[in-house]
Amino acid sequence: MWQDTKRIFLDQTGRVVDAVARLLPSVLAMLLIVALSALIAFGVRGLVRRLCQRLEVDRRLREWGMADPAAPGRAGPSVALARVALWTVLVLGFFLGLSALDTPAAAGLSLRLLAYAPRALVALAIIAAGLACARVVERNVLIGAVNMGLQSARLLALGARWLVVLFVLALGLEHAGVGAALVTVCFGVLFGGIVLALALAVGLGARDLVARSLDRRFPEPPREGSGEATGAERGQVRHL
Amino acid sequence: MVPVPAPATSGEVAPSHEGTVGSSPAGTAARSAARLRCEDLVQATPSPVAIPQRAAGQEAILVALDGRTGPVSAAQAASLESQLRACFPGRTARVLLVAPGSPVALVGPAASGAAPGEPPARSAGLGPAESALGALLAEGDRQGSATLAMLVAGERDEREDALRLLFEPVLGGALDYVCPIYPRGKLDGMLNTAIVYPLHRALFGRGLRQPAGGEAVLGLALARELIADRDWRRDPVHAGSDAWLVAKVLSGNARVGQAWLGAWPLKEEPVAHEDASHLLARVVGPVFHEVDRHAARWQRVERFERLPTLGHPRALEDAPGRASAEAPAAAFRLGLRELGKVWGLVLPPATLLELKRAAAAPDEAFQLDDGLWARVVYDFALAYATRAVERGLLLRSMTPLYLGFVAGFVNRTRALDGAGTEDRIEALCGAFEGEKRYAIARWRWPDHF
Repeated sequence: MWQDTKRIFLDQTGRVVDAVARLLPSVLAMLLIVALSALIAFGVRGLVRRLCQRLEVDRRLREWGMADPAAPGRAGPSVALARVALWTVLVLGFFLGLSALDTPAAAGLSLRLLAYAPRALVALAIIAAGLACARVVERNVLIGAVNMGLQSARLLALGARWLVVLFVLALGLEHAGVGAALVTVCFGVLFGGIVLALALAVGLGARDLVARSLDRRFPEPPREGSGEATGAERGQVRHL
Repeated sequence: MVPVPAPATSGEVAPSHEGTVGSSPAGTAARSAARLRCEDLVQATPSPVAIPQRAAGQEAILVALDGRTGPVSAAQAASLESQLRACFPGRTARVLLVAPGSPVALVGPAASGAAPGEPPARSAGLGPAESALGALLAEGDRQGSATLAMLVAGERDEREDALRLLFEPVLGGALDYVCPIYPRGKLDGMLNTAIVYPLHRALFGRGLRQPAGGEAVLGLALARELIADRDWRRDPVHAGSDAWLVAKVLSGNARVGQAWLGAWPLKEEPVAHEDASHLLARVVGPVFHEVDRHAARWQRVERFERLPTLGHPRALEDAPGRASAEAPAAAFRLGLRELGKVWGLVLPPATLLELKRAAAAPDEAFQLDDGLWARVVYDFALAYATRAVERGLLLRSMTPLYLGFVAGFVNRTRALDGAGTEDRIEALCGAFEGEKRYAIARWRWPDHF
């Protein structure tokens, strides 16, 4: 019995050693690929950072209102971009390494993920750009509404921002292929609902406010000989 | 012989009309008096900048007539031309019309159908396509005109010898640049009162009373200096704007003067057409741009110099109605409540705190301290330069603050007559001058708050 046990143990050990010996080159290849991708990732990070500096991305984004000035201890947009580039290359390198393993499951998974990566990256870019645009829209609407004297300026600005956010999220998710039909339907219902609510609010509740705002923006000039007083004659302020 | 006022220190600032040259009643006597005084000025002022030797072409006066609100009729141009010839016999005068469009062109009256056969003059491509000044300078240089002018077309007050007041100092070589001043109401031109006039005066040390009017008369030497300026290539978007011209003239060595004329030639526009936020962006944006461009220069200016002023000075006219501070004060409070985050990128916390304190006052007692307002303007000028916020948004976000100043100004001048209001404006200018050190410090250490 002892002999049988010993034989089986040695056979199994031999098989494991054989398997390891067969897998070892693949593992080494994977480690090599991961190490290389790490090197490339750091290189890409440096390149992106330098490119952002050269193109003055932080300043431009701040100028366009897409980003606030970097607070002390907070990363600016160019640092965030460089980090995204680093992790993207690292993750891609890892999956590429996995595909080097001579195992059907790992290879299949990594190949599927690698094929999906471009769509995911584009979706991410769409969402990031949309979120930045949402900030610009919010600030523009806020300042415009305040200058029009609307008391609910912040609410309006937030509404505008979330409309843009919803839109780009739906766009990004659809591009990424995540729940495509469901996202489209949900977005349509939500967006349509908000627009309908706004239309009802304006039509029923804020008709006078809109009329006053339009009146301020497109005033009717005084008719000649009508005796209507100009602003100066009424004792109002003339800015120029 | 009327002496040209000597430069005064900022502590001795007096209203600009105190340093004026001459005063004249209406009618012919006014014209002759004004003429005499112009001649006196010409004799009294040394001419350190050599006006070029006059060749035949340099006897000429070239005027670009701008319609602003509509096309200029050829009859207006012809009338102005004949007035100029009558006023300055022996000199040729040529009036061209500013033809709006892209590019802006100066066209002869023939183009409008009045005098067929006269070839149109066209801008030689100097500066931006929208700059009438660029077209005028190019045309003046081409013709060798002794004096160039950019004027607004409209009915001019015949009681004033406006053309003589405007042109004679430049034609005589006493001045290089003359800017007109028109009598206005207390609450007219608030952007000029609140920002443009005190800011120019404090920074450049020379107080043009109405620098944003867009009208000017300048000599050929100055015109050629302006043509040779590198800004036409380096910054073609802003070169040739009104603010550019004023800043170039005030920051340089040109001999600058101003002349009191009669009523503003354009008919009054209803106040409802004026949108403060758009006007702020249109008028103050270019001014801030020039403040940034000339930062190295204005930081060295320490003294205020009164400019030679021709004509009969007028006090500000009382507004016939009663303006209310309620609406602008409400706009200020709304801005303070909603735009705090944006203003926080521009204004130091101490300024925001002072603004909050000011907002707590009731409408009838609402006012912004002059020094506080000056610091706010300097901070926004700096934010414009450093692009802390997108420039269009920055200027539009300034609107509630400006309306806050307007509310305070309305309250403070309600019981004042024209002279009292002028004193109030003088105090405001003094505050801008007093806070100039703050502006310099902020400019040198922009992140230091």
